Amino acid sequence: MSEARAVSPEKLLKSARTLRWEVGGNVHEALTEAIYTDAASIADRAVSRPEESPKFDLDRTIDKIVTHRFWGFPVMILLFALVFWITITGANVPSAWLASLLLGKVHPWLSEIALSLGFPLWLKGLLVDGMYLATAWVISVMLPPMAIFFPLFTLLEDFGYLPRVAFNLDSAFKKSGAHGKQALSMMMGFGCNAAGVIATRIIDSPRERLIAIITNNFALCNGRWPTQILIATIFIGALVPAHLGGLISSFAVVGIAVLGILLTFLVNLILSRTMLRGAPSSFSMELPPYRPPRIMQTIYTSFIDRTIYVLWRAIVFAAPAGAAIWLSANITIGGVTIAEHLVNFLNPVGILIGLNGVILLAYIVAIPANEIVIPTVLMLTVLMTGAAGFDTGAGVMFELDSNASTLALLHAGGWTLLTAVNLMIFSLVHNPCSTTIYTIYKETGSLKWTTVASIMPLVLGLLMTFFVAQIWRVTAGLL
Amino acid sequence: MSDSLVTLLIGISLLVLVLWFFWPEKGLYARWQRGRRMTARIRREDALKHIHNCEMGGSVASIQSIAGALGVNLNKASATLSELEDNNLAQISNGGIRLTPAGRESALHTLRAHRMWERYLADETGYSEQEWHDLAERYEHELTPSEVEALSAKLGYPTHDPHGDPIPAADGEIVHHGGQPLTAAEIDTPLRIVHLEDEPDVVYAQLVAEGLHLGMMLRLVERTPERLRFWAGGDEHTLAPVLAANISVLALPEREAEDPVGKPLSHLRSGESAVVLSISPVCRGLDRQRLLDLGLLPGTKVGVELIGPGGDPKAYRIRGALIALRDDQADRILVE
Repeated sequence: MSEARAVSPEKLLKSARTLRWEVGGNVHEALTEAIYTDAASIADRAVSRPEESPKFDLDRTIDKIVTHRFWGFPVMILLFALVFWITITGANVPSAWLASLLLGKVHPWLSEIALSLGFPLWLKGLLVDGMYLATAWVISVMLPPMAIFFPLFTLLEDFGYLPRVAFNLDSAFKKSGAHGKQALSMMMGFGCNAAGVIATRIIDSPRERLIAIITNNFALCNGRWPTQILIATIFIGALVPAHLGGLISSFAVVGIAVLGILLTFLVNLILSRTMLRGAPSSFSMELPPYRPPRIMQTIYTSFIDRTIYVLWRAIVFAAPAGAAIWLSANITIGGVTIAEHLVNFLNPVGILIGLNGVILLAYIVAIPANEIVIPTVLMLTVLMTGAAGFDTGAGVMFELDSNASTLALLHAGGWTLLTAVNLMIFSLVHNPCSTTIYTIYKETGSLKWTTVASIMPLVLGLLMTFFVAQIWRVTAGLL
Repeated sequence: MSDSLVTLLIGISLLVLVLWFFWPEKGLYARWQRGRRMTARIRREDALKHIHNCEMGGSVASIQSIAGALGVNLNKASATLSELEDNNLAQISNGGIRLTPAGRESALHTLRAHRMWERYLADETGYSEQEWHDLAERYEHELTPSEVEALSAKLGYPTHDPHGDPIPAADGEIVHHGGQPLTAAEIDTPLRIVHLEDEPDVVYAQLVAEGLHLGMMLRLVERTPERLRFWAGGDEHTLAPVLAANISVLALPEREAEDPVGKPLSHLRSGESAVVLSISPVCRGLDRQRLLDLGLLPGTKVGVELIGPGGDPKAYRIRGALIALRDDQADRILVE
């Protein structure tokens, strides 16, 4: 090489720059396209495809029905109603069975063992009445619906139907600045918000995924359904004659769930216009071919996954909460328990927003698991009112067998219809449980978005209950 | 009851107050932030940029034109100008206002930062065309030369901003696109858009609304003093000459001109299929990457298989897979 003269780096850079101007701005693009084209042509040569067969195509026929202008939505509503119905009715039996076993049998048995082993009363209380009971509660409320809902959902996904739902609903979500696949993470959220947040991984556009994560909390999860159903039954169902009670209270619960969906769209819209404006976004989704689902395998793996998940959550998050609740109801400062101090402290705010101190404290200690809200509320109400006939002991969570006695106890605690309505709203719109918060942090890796996702619903919930309470009281004064 | 009424009213007024403060763009907080940004340094840099633009465009800047460009009164403009003189960035001679070499360097940096940031917004974020300019007007003052250099490396050393304006090199070298205004172009010859002027906003917004973009091929059909009629992107467009003057075009060499114009993929009806010609340059960044990943390349056969219940999105058969795309994406894929 006679030309092997030393070239100064400056000269090299200079000529690189000139060349860059000459080839123009699209060089990377052209390069990428050339690579793809080469890859495609190599693949075309190497891969032989069967001749196109215009015979009867089952996939296309199913697609034509499930994405039809008129039939698409009824089919979708029917399928999901079926899934929820199977979940709710199917979960009742194992839930009751687990409750009678874990709470009715194992709990007294553990208490006896602890006493016979000579545990001091406080240790027995902390371990058995506090930690064990909270764990048992979460398991009996959460496990059966999770173990039914998620396998059913996985079956629909395996079959290939869920992407079609996202396809059908995309135009609605697009209007609120979100992705059609958010419909799926939202449905998962009805089972469990933490699972819903993980499910947003299917959304490949960063902006829409973040929106879906932040608003997933507005999907009413399994841990909150029991609260809604109980309160609706004893307060709202009681407003109408007995034979209509069931219907009206169901409407109230469904109404809350629908309110959650409306809030999802509203917050989607606000987020995409303000905080997330300018975040990169792209849309595309594959509608995979239909497959016969592997039923037994899906049910088995999904069931095992969920069971392990619920147990982990119960032990990691609910057991410490149980300990905190028991301690707060049993440690006294100046002759008054910590719980009573806190309730009295929270009461003014609680009353202002149409709730009360007991409910607010219950929501604070129930951050780890929303399932224990009602047992905690009942326990604290007994503690505060000193109502007779509940010999469970301070700091022991319980539920009552009959709705009438629950209602009587809550009335004694000063509850009105407004308290009930606002509790239902607050149960829908408040901070996510700690499992969900932890999951959001793991999925986003961002402290900022975790904070937004945790605080925003709480502020919204306080605002909503505040205004409902004031308007309620003003109208009640006018009537 | 009167108590609750008072609480309700207090609540409403607090809410209104908070919204008034934090409302995006129009709220007090946003206004305060904007006001704070308009410092003396930014006024100087904007004035330098304006003088530079005038020199490039062959006109001469005056105090009046500076006041107009900065949106301030004459007093403020002349104060800014004397600051420039004091810092030896500009000179006032009888031939008008001229930049000194130091002033030119500063103006070129601002210009480079502006165009580089627009490139970044276009390639890496989801901001729409109309928002680029205003955001770049802000960030051009916040980026240091080394930051712009780092950004340039990250973006793969882009040469042009998304409007087709050349980005000055770090040493100030600048190449013009060499196009002519559409109003001066020949009738019925193949042309390519090489530049879309992004100022004033109103005009640019109209060009964007017409679906015009950089690199688009067009053919002038008719030119009268009232209007220009031309074919571009499979549609016929009509523009007033005032608007058309903001489009610069370059005549295409004959061999490239044979490319058929094509129509958007979204115009296909159910059951129809077509072959991809190109993906419009408007489709950028992540979105474009996704389409390429799906194998949507020139020459790929695409068929419409399903139409969503709302008419949008539609599902297309691409390389054996059924892929759903929204209409605003399919608009940007040209097929024949």
